[in-house]
Amino acid sequence: MRDLFRQPTFIVGFVLLSLVAIAVIFGPWLAPYDPQAFHPRARLQPPSAAFLLGTDQFGRDLLSRLLIGARATVLFGVGATALGVAAGGLIGLVAGVSAGAVDAVIMRILDGLVAVPDLLFALLIVTILGNGMQNALLAVAIAFTPGLARIARSTVLSLRGRDYVLAARARGEGPAWVILCEVLPNAIGPVIIEATIRVAFAVMIGATLGFLGLGAQPPSTEWGLMIASARQFMARNIWTVLVPSVAIAMVALGFNLLGDALRDHLDPRARR
Amino acid sequence: MSPVLSVTGYTLSYRTRSGLRRALSDITLDIAPGETLGLVGASGSGKSSLAWSILRMLPGNAQEGRGQIALAGQDLRMLTRRQLAALRGRRIGMVFQDPSTALNPSMRLGDQVAEVLIRHQRLNNRDAAIQAEAWLARTGLPHPRAIMDRYPHQVSGGEKQRVVIATAFACRPELIIFDEPTTALDVITGARILDLFAELRAETPVASLYISHDLALVGRIADRVAVLEAGRIVEQGPARDVLRAPRTATTRRLLDAIPDPAHRLSGPPPPAAPLLALNDVTVTYGRASAFGQLLGAPAPVQGARHLTLALNQGEILGIVGESGSGKSTLARALTGIAPFTGQVVFANRRMTGTDRMDRAWHRDIQIIFQNPDASLNPRHRIRTILGRPLRLYAPASPAEIEAGIIAMLEEVGLPAAYASRHPHELSGGEKQRVAIARAFAAAPKLVICDEITSALDVVVQADIARLLIALQARHGTACLFITHDLNLVRQLAHRVAVMYRGDVVDVFDATDFATADRHLYTQALLSAVSRL
Repeated sequence: MRDLFRQPTFIVGFVLLSLVAIAVIFGPWLAPYDPQAFHPRARLQPPSAAFLLGTDQFGRDLLSRLLIGARATVLFGVGATALGVAAGGLIGLVAGVSAGAVDAVIMRILDGLVAVPDLLFALLIVTILGNGMQNALLAVAIAFTPGLARIARSTVLSLRGRDYVLAARARGEGPAWVILCEVLPNAIGPVIIEATIRVAFAVMIGATLGFLGLGAQPPSTEWGLMIASARQFMARNIWTVLVPSVAIAMVALGFNLLGDALRDHLDPRARR
Repeated sequence: MSPVLSVTGYTLSYRTRSGLRRALSDITLDIAPGETLGLVGASGSGKSSLAWSILRMLPGNAQEGRGQIALAGQDLRMLTRRQLAALRGRRIGMVFQDPSTALNPSMRLGDQVAEVLIRHQRLNNRDAAIQAEAWLARTGLPHPRAIMDRYPHQVSGGEKQRVVIATAFACRPELIIFDEPTTALDVITGARILDLFAELRAETPVASLYISHDLALVGRIADRVAVLEAGRIVEQGPARDVLRAPRTATTRRLLDAIPDPAHRLSGPPPPAAPLLALNDVTVTYGRASAFGQLLGAPAPVQGARHLTLALNQGEILGIVGESGSGKSTLARALTGIAPFTGQVVFANRRMTGTDRMDRAWHRDIQIIFQNPDASLNPRHRIRTILGRPLRLYAPASPAEIEAGIIAMLEEVGLPAAYASRHPHELSGGEKQRVAIARAFAAAPKLVICDEITSALDVVVQADIARLLIALQARHGTACLFITHDLNLVRQLAHRVAVMYRGDVVDVFDATDFATADRHLYTQALLSAVSRL
């Protein structure tokens, strides 16, 4: 752990994510205004003493909306990724361990799904399931599943022939021990790292779906929706778009840097 | 005559997380034209570091101290990147340990030799191809023209190493660095490569730096020998003097580590009491994929076929043969990792396949793998690794298991505190001791040792062999000792089985190794070793 704090990438990522975490946890108490309260006299204001990050087209305080919206936006990203990792990891593990016909069938189906870009896939699923945050979350999770399954499977396959796995089988260990205690602890690293990078994508896809009107619905304070609803006023007050955009970029960058640092840290050759 | 290579007072360190680590200290050596200097040392002594600093291909964290590396009077440390690129391959050649990684897998072999000629001698493609073919012919490849059109995966390891050697010699360099060029090859091929090395050296005035951990081998081919320990040259002199009258403890240790068939480590053979009998055992590798089966995939490979072997209780049976001869396949069949057909009788139990092997079977047959880095799970502590067989095969209380772990560690000569360490905190030899402890913790009737010394350093090899024999004798365990090291097997085994391309071709008492009625392949193996 001490090694991690010597890496600049980890420190920057950690600081960014700490700020985001504060917004997620304490946002509602930190927000100076009601996020839905109109201030008709102060519409589209640049940052000032009264409104630290300015106001939008209805005169709503951007800082308050940002702080309240953090929870929905970030939890969406983390939730969708966690769901995708769980489903993809399980499918990958089953395919990698079972091998043979089961593996071939699962992987050919996944190969077909991987060919469709994540966003397009998510759009398709939301169109079928209907609008709304929960469906969007499910859509992103499903869109992530094939990619994560592939990673989990290839990791399991590379581990399956390792001598320590063979040693366990030669010792007469049951499949539960081999999978849970020999393979899984060594396979979890690459999957976790892929997941931290995917969280950033999930936030962005969630924001995109919100922007397209397929995810969160007004007057939600979800960040993607904030950008979408403010974009026609962009020319009059750039802050309405800039504030949520920078926030999304911060989350994405934070998780990316953290993922990078973790990958370096978990690689024993790099550590020594 | 002025030396080709002259290293004076050279010092090198690596920057690591834990500070600066010294790799080479005050290295001074000269190589005259036509001379071969053997550089010997245990792993980690700095042999490869020296090779890379001569080639000026040091990693980013290297920090050079004082000293000079001069090629024919020219200080290599002063040269620019561009000058060095023009020099490598033309004036300094390199032959690597493993020819399968030294050659580009997506390039024809002929092009790889021609490349250096085009690059350094500015030949056109046609002339380069002609010269390349001539060099391949000189390395003793029987059909150089045919070889030129092949890719690395289409030829054998020995042929690949010949191509690498042709590439190194092609531009008639002043110096060639050989980094253990025979280690990755099997015994007979390695001996032929050494013959080639001697021939080429007699024909060309090239100076060579021959890096190896095998003092006996270097003693035969080198004019002078330098012994390296912990980054320092501790002894340097004519090969004969260093080998006959070593002046330092390091050299003596390296000499003692060479297995001597006359010095047997194991006791007399045990009385005949059958433990294991293999009857017509065949292992088939590779299964066509679901789609492959539909399309009629080629027949799978047989890793071992129609094996018939027997082993007595407490006996050590050595199994020798080149890589791919089926030695490891046999080990995998007995431990249930590879499915087999035929019949195995072990401790009065008959097996005709792997599916009926139960926990008792697995307990009685334990296996130790070649590379302890791979066979110990990097995420487990030594306590978990050693506790597993104790927990798996018999009901035991946590206190009993802990006591068992400590006892096993003690038995293999490791401190009890190692129980809470992870494998990467141990040295290679210590890791292999843990692997041995894990096998013996199950109190098995048979331990299969699959090349357990070959991934280790020479000095450590001898210790591990002694430890194994001590444990084997104390517990009365039978042992299948798989190896390619004939001298070692003659020290250890009571009987020897020779495998060749999936068949057992010869079985005999270890003392009858050199008798006249041996199989031709056994004789070939033996002559290759005595030539080393």
